[in-house]
Amino acid sequence: MKQKTQVEDIDRSFYDFRYDEDAQDFFDSGITPDIIRGISEEKNDPDWMREFRLRSLEIYSRMPMVKWGASIEGLDVDNIVAYIRPKSRMNTDWDSVPDNIKETFERLGIPQAERESLAGVGAQYDSELVYHNVRKEVAQSGVVYTDLESAMHDERYAGIIKDHFMKLVPPSDHKFAALHGAVWSGGSFVYVPKNVHLEVPLQSYFRLNAKGAGQFEHTLIILEENSSLHFIEGCSAPKYYEAGLHAGCVELYVGEGASLRYSTIENWSKNMYNLNTKRAIVQKNGRIEWVSGSFGSHVSYLYPMSILNGEGASAEFTGITFAGEGQDLDTGAKIVHNAPNTSSYMNTKSISKSGGKSTFRSAVTVSEKAAGSKSSVNCESLMLDNISRSDTVPVIDVRTDKCDIGHEAKIGRISDEAIFYLTSRGLSEEDARAMIVRGFADNVSKELPLEYAVEMNNLIGLEMHGSVG
Amino acid sequence: MTASKLNILPVPTFSRLGVNYVSRDTEGFETSRSTSDITEDRTVTFYADDSSLPVGEVTLNVGKGVKLKLVQVFDRSAPYVSKLNVTLDESAELELVQLYIGGSDTVSEIVTELAGARSKVSTVIGCALDGDNKLDINLIARHRGRKSESVIDVSSVLKGQSVKTFKGTIDFINGSSGAKGSEHEDALLLDNRVRNRTVPVILCEEENVEGSHGATIGRLDERHIFYLRSRGTSEEKIYELMSRSKLMKAVGRIGDEAVKARVYKALGWGDTDE
Repeated sequence: MKQKTQVEDIDRSFYDFRYDEDAQDFFDSGITPDIIRGISEEKNDPDWMREFRLRSLEIYSRMPMVKWGASIEGLDVDNIVAYIRPKSRMNTDWDSVPDNIKETFERLGIPQAERESLAGVGAQYDSELVYHNVRKEVAQSGVVYTDLESAMHDERYAGIIKDHFMKLVPPSDHKFAALHGAVWSGGSFVYVPKNVHLEVPLQSYFRLNAKGAGQFEHTLIILEENSSLHFIEGCSAPKYYEAGLHAGCVELYVGEGASLRYSTIENWSKNMYNLNTKRAIVQKNGRIEWVSGSFGSHVSYLYPMSILNGEGASAEFTGITFAGEGQDLDTGAKIVHNAPNTSSYMNTKSISKSGGKSTFRSAVTVSEKAAGSKSSVNCESLMLDNISRSDTVPVIDVRTDKCDIGHEAKIGRISDEAIFYLTSRGLSEEDARAMIVRGFADNVSKELPLEYAVEMNNLIGLEMHGSVG
Repeated sequence: MTASKLNILPVPTFSRLGVNYVSRDTEGFETSRSTSDITEDRTVTFYADDSSLPVGEVTLNVGKGVKLKLVQVFDRSAPYVSKLNVTLDESAELELVQLYIGGSDTVSEIVTELAGARSKVSTVIGCALDGDNKLDINLIARHRGRKSESVIDVSSVLKGQSVKTFKGTIDFINGSSGAKGSEHEDALLLDNRVRNRTVPVILCEEENVEGSHGATIGRLDERHIFYLRSRGTSEEKIYELMSRSKLMKAVGRIGDEAVKARVYKALGWGDTDE
């Protein structure tokens, strides 16, 4: 009788620790004009931002829920706490961070990573940044890496923020973009001057500790001409029974000849709704690279978008999604070719098991201005059992004849032939399956710095043991 | 006026792309409906032209072990809505050949239920669009039977300001163990004002299946053009030859010589003997 080896779910216990919060720090749950005004007052917003928040709330209130994608019926935004007052102001020294928050980030390995391999770190705990620092030599090169709110209140950057904030992702984009515009809090601002190349990455880590809360950080990165940066984003939360919400927003401006790599390892707990919006606009000969690992959350909607707006601009998206029990992860990417001779490459892998559902959803649009453009999309899905689901929904919309667009997709299981071959070479069936699944995920792990690839492997946690029917 | 939703994508996607459905007001349109149980091997050829009713609905139930070849040619300039539903019993086989020649607004839905074990469908579609032609195809191959197989092959040549949308879905329902489905689309775009939308969907709730899809969209490969030019073929002739070769996949499967001759004429290819 043929036997199947069980692939274990991702072990999230490493991330599943929490600390009690003071109830008086919590704003009331729900999204009302009074709450928005309260957040704005708490943050001492400039007038334009307060008006922006209230205008976003109006859009949010009248906009319908999305009519496609994973079900978000279990999310009641009226029960979500949009803002939690921080226990301390933002610090540039870990010793000044409150003990339990510092311990949280130490357990996540952030200070250690900062010492060993990063040019700068930002750490957000619930609604606000608690730590932000950048190496002296990086700051001396003119690179700005700070929290968005400090930048907004700094006259050197206030104008830049006003000119770029939610211009790529306007609140009218979709309901949760509007929600973000109303309640956003925290996040990072990065500015890399012309001809500056950061050889070592910057990292922001977002930790949502509170129960029934939302996290709405905003990341704004501007790369001037011929500059380069690798930015890493990590996120996690402990598990609660109440739904939590992450509706962050990332806006990336890549200048002429500049190059930005944006890597994300997302491991929200399984009570989280991850409705995140990420978008990049790339000018002439610029390049955006997305590396994305989606492992956590109950429901995800995540489709980083690249707008190739200058001649010769390019985009690459490499992603992996692992949907286990109770997860409905709807992920993919969008690419718009809007200038001549632009190019894009998308390579994604999805794994579904234990009743999990993964959906790969993409859109490649080639406008009439994009003569000479090329695009290639490759997606593969692996079903590890018979109670899971894996869907692939790509769209290719081409409006010019002078282009070369290719698309390939495959879905299947681990083949018996591959198992037979590996077992005939002396591997146990368990080891053979583990090797195949690790190889399946290899396209993403090899794109990550070593320590993050290790984290990803920990996340996958593909322990192979036992056998079921 | 009441517009109804047609060609609904089985799993909706980003609304702004406009591919989830098409809205057409077909109320009051004369409809041709036919339902048949196919109990023995046969070939059926259907030619829709401007004398056809504006809505055609065909429902076919193909019996156990029966092979059906269905050829449908859509050579109609006026708006047209076609609905084809085929259910395949155990080991039943459908060879479907569809050719779309022009059409100001053609909406075509093909739903194949591979209900029986080892049932098979092979679909070859050719689309020749020019001018303001508009075509929206929604093809669904739903695998329910064990070891059922589907192959979908779509070739298109678009000129002028023509607009084509092809939505092809392979749906592996739980229980269709051992099923295989593959889909390929090849679209040759010959004008900078054309629009081609491709939505190759795979839905899967069964572990033991193999599904794949691929698409190539765009212009002719410059190496092919260079090779043929170096052999003395004019660029105009090269495009004509390549267009013809794309469509021949479907045209070549038309067995009825009279129909084939009509197709050649409609495509401006002269006589079949040429």
